[in-house]
Amino acid sequence: MKDYKYVGKKSIRIDGKAKVMGAAKYTDDLEFGPNLLHIAVLSSPHAHAKILGIETSEAEKVPGVKAVISGKDFPQKFGLYLRDHAIFPNDKVRYVGEQVAAVIAKTKKIAQAAVKKIQVEYEVLPNIQNALDSIKPNATLIHPNLGNYEVVPWLYPQPGTNIGHVRKIRKGEIDKAFEEADFILEDQYHVPHVVHAPMENHIAVALFDYEDRLTMWNSTQSPHTQRNILASCLNIPHKDVRVIAPYVGGGFGGKAGISMEVIAAVAAMKVPGCPVKLAWSRKEEFENSSQRQELFAKVKMGVKNDGTIIALKHELFWDVGASAEYGSNVVNATGFSAIGPYNIPNVYIDSFAIYTNRPPCGAYRGFGYSEFHFGLESHIDRIAKKLNMDPIEFRKKNAIKEGDKVAYGVEMGPTGLRECIEKVAEKIEMGKEVISDDPDKIIAKGFACAWKAPAMPPNESSAAFIKFNEDGSINILVSGMELGQGYLTSMAKIAAEVLSIPLEKIRVEHPDTDRNPYEWQTVASHTTWSSGNAVKKAAIEAKGRIIETVSRALNYKKDTLYLEDEMVKCTVDSNFSLALKDFVINGIQMKDGTFRGGPILGTGIFMPEFTSAMVDPETGQGGHPNVHYTTGAGAVEIEIDKRTGRVRVLKMAEAFDAGKVLNPDLAKGQIIGGFMQGLGTALWEEVKFDENGKILNPNFTDYKIPTTLEVPDEMYPIFVEVAQPDGPFGVRGIGEHTMIPVMPAVGNAIANALGIRLTEVPFTPERILAALEKKGK
Amino acid sequence: MKKEIIFKLNDEMVSVTVDSDELLLDVLRDKFGLKSPKRSCGRGECGACSVLLNGKSVRSCIIFAVEVAGQEIITFEGLQKEGMTDLQKSFLEHNSFQCGFCTSGVTITATEFLQKNPKPTVKEIKEALAGNLCRCTGYSSIVDAIYDYTKKKGE
Amino acid sequence: MSTFDYKRPATIGEVVKLLDEYKTSAKLLLGGTDLNLMLTEDIIKADIVIDIKNIEGLDVLQIKDSNLIIGAGVTFSQIVDSPLMKEKFPVIWESSRTVASMGLRNRATITGNICSAVPSADSAPALLNRDAAVVAISSQGKREIPIEDFFTGPRKTSLLDNEMVMSIKVPEIHGKFGGSYIKMGRYRGEDLAQVGVATLATEDLNYKISYCAVGPRPLRVKEVEALLNGKEFQGELNQELKDIILRTVSPISDIRASKEYREKMCLVLLERSLKASLSRMKNGEPQYGKELL
Ligand code: FES
Ligand code: FES
Repeated sequence: MKDYKYVGKKSIRIDGKAKVMGAAKYTDDLEFGPNLLHIAVLSSPHAHAKILGIETSEAEKVPGVKAVISGKDFPQKFGLYLRDHAIFPNDKVRYVGEQVAAVIAKTKKIAQAAVKKIQVEYEVLPNIQNALDSIKPNATLIHPNLGNYEVVPWLYPQPGTNIGHVRKIRKGEIDKAFEEADFILEDQYHVPHVVHAPMENHIAVALFDYEDRLTMWNSTQSPHTQRNILASCLNIPHKDVRVIAPYVGGGFGGKAGISMEVIAAVAAMKVPGCPVKLAWSRKEEFENSSQRQELFAKVKMGVKNDGTIIALKHELFWDVGASAEYGSNVVNATGFSAIGPYNIPNVYIDSFAIYTNRPPCGAYRGFGYSEFHFGLESHIDRIAKKLNMDPIEFRKKNAIKEGDKVAYGVEMGPTGLRECIEKVAEKIEMGKEVISDDPDKIIAKGFACAWKAPAMPPNESSAAFIKFNEDGSINILVSGMELGQGYLTSMAKIAAEVLSIPLEKIRVEHPDTDRNPYEWQTVASHTTWSSGNAVKKAAIEAKGRIIETVSRALNYKKDTLYLEDEMVKCTVDSNFSLALKDFVINGIQMKDGTFRGGPILGTGIFMPEFTSAMVDPETGQGGHPNVHYTTGAGAVEIEIDKRTGRVRVLKMAEAFDAGKVLNPDLAKGQIIGGFMQGLGTALWEEVKFDENGKILNPNFTDYKIPTTLEVPDEMYPIFVEVAQPDGPFGVRGIGEHTMIPVMPAVGNAIANALGIRLTEVPFTPERILAALEKKGK
Repeated sequence: MKKEIIFKLNDEMVSVTVDSDELLLDVLRDKFGLKSPKRSCGRGECGACSVLLNGKSVRSCIIFAVEVAGQEIITFEGLQKEGMTDLQKSFLEHNSFQCGFCTSGVTITATEFLQKNPKPTVKEIKEALAGNLCRCTGYSSIVDAIYDYTKKKGE
Repeated sequence: MSTFDYKRPATIGEVVKLLDEYKTSAKLLLGGTDLNLMLTEDIIKADIVIDIKNIEGLDVLQIKDSNLIIGAGVTFSQIVDSPLMKEKFPVIWESSRTVASMGLRNRATITGNICSAVPSADSAPALLNRDAAVVAISSQGKREIPIEDFFTGPRKTSLLDNEMVMSIKVPEIHGKFGGSYIKMGRYRGEDLAQVGVATLATEDLNYKISYCAVGPRPLRVKEVEALLNGKEFQGELNQELKDIILRTVSPISDIRASKEYREKMCLVLLERSLKASLSRMKNGEPQYGKELL
């Protein structure tokens, strides 16, 4: 393998100093002067109710209040893929916490006090709290106008029902295959709603100035996508909408697309000239940002006695909440990929986006894959056991290989899946028994595989500018977001490698849609790949200009020139070297005193030109909806207390095929962070609702995310590198994947420990004890 | 009700007029421009808003500013007056942050803890930091940085 | 949040006067980890908040005449960091370590904890087992309330409207003893107790057993103590004892745990706690502070 100078080498993050010194400014840390106004939002107390009237006059009278806004002022709907989300609803509220009106005032306190004076008259409607109820005939319609909403051509809302989209896959002959199967296992699995819980809540500041231009400072993963949604929804030319994205205190998908930012935007339009700030409290973050969809999955798998999987019927019923504007694509993406990383010839998949009166759901690290892998990977272990096969061997036997056809008929790309399986099994010593010295405790291991493709529209794209400065340093302008994953460092490394410039001389700029070139969104674990390709191309272009300038000015043949250690050198003249800083701005002086060259720039764009979302809606065949898959595996060793039902993870290992690891420490950080987030969903996390759709645990008192004390003593992040042909230096993403194997691996470990199978997460001590008791009977 | 309070803030005596129900967090951020304490849970449950009060880490989101009259507050900004501390260097070296939102709170907590217990075990570090939530790192890089710092310090 | 007046009297005398004046519309402020949140979230209202944590002498933590005096201003951190507490009042010490997190323990007081009187108060079982008394003062004078009579219901105490707690008094034990507090939370990190049990065993095989979070108030189960007294606990509760316990406790189902699960854990945790207490009485192992769950 080629030896790189920066790529794959340990390094300090380029945003490191800013973060350990507290210089990193998040949106709420920015100063907007004494003119700044604050917004408080009146949220719906009902899960489903007709709005009969909104009376705001009392609120308007409160001293310090500048304006009160509601659906009367802004009746528009917005959405990324399906425009079903009201800025403020005029007809009815659809979930507890939905914004009904907002007060803009001099202080937050005044705004909050005034909000309490708004009177809303509601007529309460029957509400739906369960996706399976929502698809029953005669269920109340949550979006009676579903047929009139604008939607991208590859999603299929079903007007007259509560189904926002359905993705169907039909491959092979499913009925025949089940007939031929020697063994069939069928069961259902349930994964409840969870939340992202980034440490920084959503926050947006907006300014609508006197030249009618809207500027926003948002904590977001999607500056350009937000600009596009705002421009088209509010009818402002794109050039007059500017989204600036400072550091973000965690996203995990929750800050993808747009949500509460639209409220700040329209509030600003009501008070031109004054910046307005809307900051969600933690409770509002739970109730009205986005959640992970709940999943009810039905899995039916047929195998031959030799352990070959020949048929899979996978039905996914997703509760996307009251809006499917983003969640419908989770449903779509998982529909295409719900076979998991296996080669299965006969496939039947239905994936439904089902509306309920719960908060809107959207992207969450893993984009639905965590949820369906829970059922699928539990199923795999169960079947292997029935066949008397080692579950690892069973997985290896069926693991997808390069060239196999995935469910929608496209060939699988290069994959190191088998190696990942082997390395994890070896590290965690699958099959080797460990005995606890405490008679009340059992130690056991569990394993799961994972795969995931970036879920994107087929024409997503990235762009980059590189500009040189007088001292030979560079600024890279891109619009991907540093969410903590190390994006800035990764982009810097790619440019550093091409241009042979050290990381200390590279600054990567935060997005500002006025200035930085386009990026679709920082989601889908695709940004290192997609934006990285754009940066690489920009660096190559800049390099070309450098070489062209030197060649032209100094008469060296272009193909003899190369870059090394911030200098241009020549393969045929070892005495020649020219420092970049000597000419990248001011050019090269000729004998006659004239100059050649000028400021060195590079631009790069990337769009995967081979993808298409246009498939046959009945079979899912005929298109090319995904760019590639990242594959891997994970395993845990747990200790379980038979008497209390408590589970503790002692050891974990995960391996992913990253194609090429750009930053070893950061990649490990993704595995450990993703694992812990996954562990949260396996053992503790669940948003609890009462029967009227009110969240019972909108805080960390009762929504328990992992702390230091839940971290396993031993953790083994492992990487396999089978290059992604179209990735920069072979890279493919791993950020989300690390979370995917955790729920099933822990579930499989519990099954191995106690002989009980839990088909529902989180695996609470109560559920474990109940299952044990049932088994005892 | 308005009150004027005087207290020591990052080594300087300061005075400010506050409402009796104003939170220390808001006063530090909005009236003194000290942005290192962050608002996250607002209920004392995450540690993002931590500052040192008379040398002890406390949660500024559930302390009224009037309570600190006559006391001493040190924020993250005040810890690094002489530049990057060795503990911060260790955080940098270990990439003990991702989004960085929890970092100042974690550093404040670790600072107090290490004063009390300069040679902790890994378990003790984990216990001390159990009240500082970090959604990104999975904590191990944070624990490693602190442990490594104490090892180097001991040498 | 409606605004309130804030006062920081220098003496207990002044506090008592203010209490007479304002009665229930006054709130006494110690660490504020509970009170400030309730005020901020508009769950309670106050005309005046009386900050008593800085009153001189309220941070005493010392033995006087064979009694430990824990001043009202003593924080959980002070307890956790005190060698005296670890040595002589190890279960109060052990339970204090399970309260919230360091950043909250630096502020939260044990007096505040019992005055909040939530059913899950971690400090209550250990205080119950040590027959602690709450020393209250008002313009009518001082009185001692046995801790058993102090808790009257969820967030309710026998404290009068014009009384303030000055200290908690805990008698010393002179012979050999061992004790333990086991708290069941949803995980190892910060959590409220879903079930908490403290036990104490003395050399003459006398037992004390108290629970929190399994009824409207923390409670001691003397009936069980009486049946165990004089016998070496063998590691398992017999059916009679189990029946008594399940008759005595009255846990509820909430989002944290179900009634049934809490009931089961009342038994499992008690067995483990008794075992640990006996063993600690005999040989000091497992060390205090060690995880017993
Ligand atoms: S914001 Fe203060 S502890 Fe979370
Ligand atoms: S680094 Fe993001 S919360 Fe800790």
